[in-house]
Amino acid sequence: MQKKSQEKQKLLFNENIIDVVQFGSSVIKEKPVNDIDIAVIYKKISLKEQLNHSQKIKKQLEKGFNLPIHIKSFDLYSLFDKGNFAREGILFYGKSLITKEYFVKLFGLIPKIHFTYNLSDLDKKDKVRFNYLLNGKKGKYGLLREYGGKIIAPGIIEIIPEYEKIFFDAMKEITPSLEMKKVFLS
Amino acid sequence: MNEKKGILEKTAKEYYLSGTEELSKQRYNSAVVLFFKSLIASADLFILIKTGKTPSSHNDRFNSLRNFRDIYDIVDKDFPFYQDSYNILMSKELAEVIKEDAEEVAGKAEITL
Repeated sequence: MQKKSQEKQKLLFNENIIDVVQFGSSVIKEKPVNDIDIAVIYKKISLKEQLNHSQKIKKQLEKGFNLPIHIKSFDLYSLFDKGNFAREGILFYGKSLITKEYFVKLFGLIPKIHFTYNLSDLDKKDKVRFNYLLNGKKGKYGLLREYGGKIIAPGIIEIIPEYEKIFFDAMKEITPSLEMKKVFLS
Repeated sequence: MNEKKGILEKTAKEYYLSGTEELSKQRYNSAVVLFFKSLIASADLFILIKTGKTPSSHNDRFNSLRNFRDIYDIVDKDFPFYQDSYNILMSKELAEVIKEDAEEVAGKAEITL
């Protein structure tokens, strides 16, 4: 069985590391996963030192995951650089392997996904199905309770990023009128 | 075997010199690629000396280097930059790191670049 999340392993890291962040498909439930993307975020130390430390982190992580590990090293400047194509993935989906929290919590932010849906064109049967999907039926949990989502306004639900695919796929099956927005709350 | 050794040594030096030229012209992506190619030529030379064989692919190379952890770690560390070099802007600092790594692996293969 593939290990997508690190288990029973305490990372040893030095004081120049701000965080070790898992991002990419392995942090999104139900996404097919071929490898584990890791970003190591450093204080201002030389690139050579960053790469050497990251190699040590990679060796530790290889014991905890059984998929190939792709490790990238950043300081806060290179992390936010526009040339860093992994930037959004790290900031929005990234989870700290040190704190087990979303990485951006470090900056006082909480990533959320807002799904806006419109059921007005659906027939009654599908509206009921949609309601059951979100809220459950006869004692069976709906997606909101199962995955900790909530309705924040009529036609808008809020979830955490790791359940994006589960919600999107399930809701899209019933209604084509579905919009997804990525937001940061403070 | 001697002919193969000669070819690998020549390519390691050639890529290194070209990398140095690109570095001086501030073409860092090209420099990273060339220094990494130099590094790989030296790693292959090292493998040839130790095992009598040369690897036929990156996978084969990684497998052959598993018994030589210090070189494995350098190749494993730098390989992602080579892979990314076509779509990510490389920095001078990175090119210099890979240049130093090419020199280190050349030293282990007992050649001077």
